[in-house]
Amino acid sequence: MGDQFRKVEQYSPKSSPRGARSPVVSRQDSTGTLKTTISLGKNPSIVHSGPFYLMKEPPGESELTGATNLMGYYGLEHSYTKFSGKKPKEQLSSFLPNLPGIIDKPGHHDNSSLRSVIEKPPIGGKELLPLTSVQLAGFRLHPGPLPEQYRYVNQAPQRKHKNKHKKHKHKPGEVLSGQEVATTDVGGSDTHEKKHKKQKRHDEEKEARKKRKKEKKRKKQKHSPEHTGSLTPSQHSNS
Amino acid sequence: MASALENLEAQLELFIENVRQIRIIVSDFQPQGQNVLNQKIQGLVNGLQEIDKLKSQVQDVHVPLEVFDYIDQGRNPQLYTKDCIEKALTKNEQVKGKIDAYRKFKANMLVELNRVFPNELAKYRAIRGDE
Repeated sequence: MGDQFRKVEQYSPKSSPRGARSPVVSRQDSTGTLKTTISLGKNPSIVHSGPFYLMKEPPGESELTGATNLMGYYGLEHSYTKFSGKKPKEQLSSFLPNLPGIIDKPGHHDNSSLRSVIEKPPIGGKELLPLTSVQLAGFRLHPGPLPEQYRYVNQAPQRKHKNKHKKHKHKPGEVLSGQEVATTDVGGSDTHEKKHKKQKRHDEEKEARKKRKKEKKRKKQKHSPEHTGSLTPSQHSNS
Repeated sequence: MASALENLEAQLELFIENVRQIRIIVSDFQPQGQNVLNQKIQGLVNGLQEIDKLKSQVQDVHVPLEVFDYIDQGRNPQLYTKDCIEKALTKNEQVKGKIDAYRKFKANMLVELNRVFPNELAKYRAIRGDE
């Protein structure tokens, strides 16, 4: 007997892929307003006796919709006015001005990206203990400055560097070591002229006198073209 | 919550300052600086312990991953907040526009249906229970 019941259950609509629901009967009448008459027998039929076909219950009105000003609802107007008024500065250093070092460069350059912390989490879960004297012995250092390759972290942020350049531009006669490097690197005739102009500013009269003397000498000697004498080392290498 | 975050911020700043000082000591190391360096290293361990203690207080702070991309690119994370606020406002305005349009559509439709099918609409309104 028990086996029979089990067999019946196995073939009951409950075990069908659609569950207990018949696919013939639609389920739209959740309101009760759409009256249907279902007649079974030899010729089963479904007759809609209500006034409207496919009438559904309207969606319930929620208290909070997009029709309300959500910025005001959540009290974020202050934040909105704060950010919409002026554009925040682009650099990270303007958000964290007290952080030492250069932080405006992409993090993946020096392996300091936060994304890498998520992708490769550091080993954790161990108790943090103060170092013993034996462990501290490993941090005994030799006196003297750091090797050149480790000093890059001591560089000042670039914007400060730019300001320095600007200041020095106004001071005649002074030439930054960095500027000198730039001029020798480029090695073009323009940079040479710039350098020359600075020297002129420094002691214009002396230079003018020297030039006059040189020209006189050259005219007397009647040798090579005038400009060869004023070539920089880089120009020599180019030619 | 605000105090927990402020605490964490203060501890992180202390830690960074400690590291900065170690960098200065190490960059041109003097033999008499070994004791100071040892103290600073112990200070690092203490700093890490303090930060670790504060971990439990900020468990419910959720940070969107996109902010990390901004920081990793050396950009101000406030730009992310600004973008989010602007996007939310735009979306809010769009949805409000849609809702208003549907409301007007419904009202117009009822007016027109009432004109063409007055009896049916009366029945419909009776069933709906509105007006």
